[in-house]
Amino acid sequence: MDTVVVLKQFITEVIGEEFVEEMDIDMNSSFTRDLEMDSIEIVSFSEKIKAHYGDQIDFTGWLSNMDLDQLINLNLGMIVEYIDNARN
Amino acid sequence: MPVIKVNNRGVHIQELNKGSAETVLLVHGMFSNLSVYYFNIAPVLAKEFHVLMYDLKSHGMSEKVVKGYDLESMTGDLLALMDELGLDRVHLAGYSFGGLIALKMASRFPDRVKKLAVIEAPDPNDDKTRDIIDDYSREFLEHYVENFTDTTKVKMGKRQMERNHRMYEYLFYETSIKKDMLLEREFFGSEEIDGIGQETLLLYGAGSNCLGAGRLLKQKIKGAQLLEVPGDHNIPIQEPVLIGNLLDNFFKHG
Repeated sequence: MDTVVVLKQFITEVIGEEFVEEMDIDMNSSFTRDLEMDSIEIVSFSEKIKAHYGDQIDFTGWLSNMDLDQLINLNLGMIVEYIDNARN
Repeated sequence: MPVIKVNNRGVHIQELNKGSAETVLLVHGMFSNLSVYYFNIAPVLAKEFHVLMYDLKSHGMSEKVVKGYDLESMTGDLLALMDELGLDRVHLAGYSFGGLIALKMASRFPDRVKKLAVIEAPDPNDDKTRDIIDDYSREFLEHYVENFTDTTKVKMGKRQMERNHRMYEYLFYETSIKKDMLLEREFFGSEEIDGIGQETLLLYGAGSNCLGAGRLLKQKIKGAQLLEVPGDHNIPIQEPVLIGNLLDNFFKHG
């Protein structure tokens, strides 16, 4: 399945369908600013990614190299790009 | 998202590098959750240690509980969690209110705590700490978000604000947290603190209004090392990699 489809499903599971319906999620959607995820929701989202892709990617390691500014500015496109590159 | 049952209550935990010989257990602060460690600090420690983080009751994704926010109950919860996971002894680190829990744990169950790291634990007898509890209102929260969180660069959106507001309201008006915290006023003056025998690291922000508490703990805990880190009360968010490395070095070498 396309990475972006998988991630949009995870976003829906984390923040709830009713909020997702109100949003226009695209590759530029930032997790904190646009999707208004708080930190514990980003933890949930990260755990779903880790459970789904397993050892194919080192998502924890990738996130841990980011400073706060980078985490705040993280958007959907950046994660899709990371996952697709890591798997190829 | 592991939520396990401890004493028949749901507790959200996260673990990294499971299977490593030694465990570092991280305790977050009041109105926060395990994410304060999850992104940067835990991965630094997980290069060497098994890292366990958990959400305190009514925080993060753990189950809401009406009673038992005094340090006796909070350390009872932590002990039950360690028993449930088969952890005999751990290195323990706590931030803010979590630092108070870590201090109490080291004093109450010395055989279960190897080394102790306390980050920005406030003195419960300090008016400034208590005022946060006493002065709460929606206006206060908005002021807090607008000003105080500037130092962490994190701004909350409307949905986040509502969620946080609900958590504050629940904790303040529907649980015993306020009453339980007031009962801990004498904690830093107690013999329990003087009797802490673990190797102890105290990490405080050089510009923090809790730094005095760090200096007091250094006087009281024999051999405790106090390090001042650039920043204020929010040092785990302002300097996560530095905090992670300082903890890692302390737990490895002392």
